[in-house]
Amino acid sequence: MRTISLFGSVPTQRQPIKFGGLFRGQVRDFLFSPDSDRWLSLLRIGLGIEIVLYSLSLREDWNRLFARNNTGFLSRELSEAILSIQSPFVPRIGWMVSLGEQVGLSEQTTLLLAWLLLFGSGSLLIAGVFCRSSAIAAWLLHLCAAKSGEYLAYGMDNFTTIGLFYLMIAPLPDRYALDWKIWKRPRCDPQILGFHRKVLQFHLCAIYFFGGITKCLGAGWWNGNSMWRALTRPPFDIISIQTLLSWKAALPILGIAVCLIETGFPFFIWPKTTRLVWLLSILAMHVAIGFTMGLYLFSLIMIVLGLAAFGPGAVVLWQERHVAQRAASASA
Amino acid sequence: MLIVSWQQTFWVLAEGFTSLPHSLDRHWRKAEQLTTAALGQTLSLSNPVRQGITAYIHATGIEGGYGFFAPSVPDSYKLVFELHYPDGRVEYELPHVADAATGLRLSTLLDQIGRTEYDPLREVMLKMLAYSMWEAHPDASVIRAVFGFVALPTAEEAMEGKTESYYFLYAYDFTFRERPDTAPAN
Repeated sequence: MRTISLFGSVPTQRQPIKFGGLFRGQVRDFLFSPDSDRWLSLLRIGLGIEIVLYSLSLREDWNRLFARNNTGFLSRELSEAILSIQSPFVPRIGWMVSLGEQVGLSEQTTLLLAWLLLFGSGSLLIAGVFCRSSAIAAWLLHLCAAKSGEYLAYGMDNFTTIGLFYLMIAPLPDRYALDWKIWKRPRCDPQILGFHRKVLQFHLCAIYFFGGITKCLGAGWWNGNSMWRALTRPPFDIISIQTLLSWKAALPILGIAVCLIETGFPFFIWPKTTRLVWLLSILAMHVAIGFTMGLYLFSLIMIVLGLAAFGPGAVVLWQERHVAQRAASASA
Repeated sequence: MLIVSWQQTFWVLAEGFTSLPHSLDRHWRKAEQLTTAALGQTLSLSNPVRQGITAYIHATGIEGGYGFFAPSVPDSYKLVFELHYPDGRVEYELPHVADAATGLRLSTLLDQIGRTEYDPLREVMLKMLAYSMWEAHPDASVIRAVFGFVALPTAEEAMEGKTESYYFLYAYDFTFRERPDTAPAN
């Protein structure tokens, strides 16, 4: 390894400082800091619940959404044709239907099977049975549904794909999964677990930072106008106009709070002193979005991702800080 | 993931949707073009590199960027069907959904139709929605899809008693023939 000495040609017995090596070491220590698999349990169970609720929420309209000659919304063939122009490699429901036709299954049967598999993979994820296979199946089926219904997809679908992708490549199973209890597999390297969690943490920081900074650039989020519009815009207008008007003075404060919480997320979620406060703020924001705008599945996936990425250890860090403060004040 | 996020942010800036000075727009445009090129989106559609990057971006769920309701909350769109019967009757219908979850997705679809700048694509999308309406009302001779947006009152306007206003954008007349087991036909 190439090293640089601070002392040039002056003879010295000191160990030369390895700038490159030191930096690389710090980065490696940070990225691969050992971690438990509690975050992975949260991610697996949370995504399992999300997938089960997602499939249940679309059960009534599943065929209307994805049948070729549907009688409800856009034909999936339109979304898939546009998707094919962008890239022929993106998974879609049409692939499954073609596969089903090869073995003599009708489109209706294949669609029903796809729904059952999606629901089943979500249930298996909750229980922790066949974790890897279930995660891959859930990711693939959800992705197919999201892409074939591209024009009907919203933020929740993107975040679910993100979560399932990370779960699919994560070192499964975790210790709370039935897989681990049944097969007694050796525990995964804590450093690998730590690295996977770090990637998820960085991604979440990017999500909130870019979401926040783009909001900060609009005047409406500073004067309460965007908050008002978000809460009165159909189909998110769950709260009555009269109730909102009585809270009118709080809207600018809430708008600014959203901007600050989101933009400040990558800066305040890492320090021990602010992690718990920031995590609770972001979770409270998503609970509020769920109940005031009816975006229950969107809120749930954001809470799952946030809790999995930064939940485990946040309370411990906060407790450690308070114990240290008490000890310092006692010794003083 | 970071390149996609920057590209979306630069696009918002370049379009002049923010409070920043418009003199900077051309710089944001250049930055957006740079990030677009980095994502391989300036290559030809059939280029395998572009197709591979696009597939990866879709498979990991990072294609959309994260600027929801940013920098401002857009107006919502509304679709109304006018059902014209041979006897001169006219009925009005809204698109049907089974539950709130699908209603949310229908709202997304209307936003997508509203943002579509390519007229033939918009017409095809509305035709498909009109077809489903015709299946529920096969006696209708003409189905007119009237698409517009809803302008919401500000808090001050709402205090004065002003309610939402509906603005017309497009209207298309569709007629369908009895052709079971086929795609919608005009």
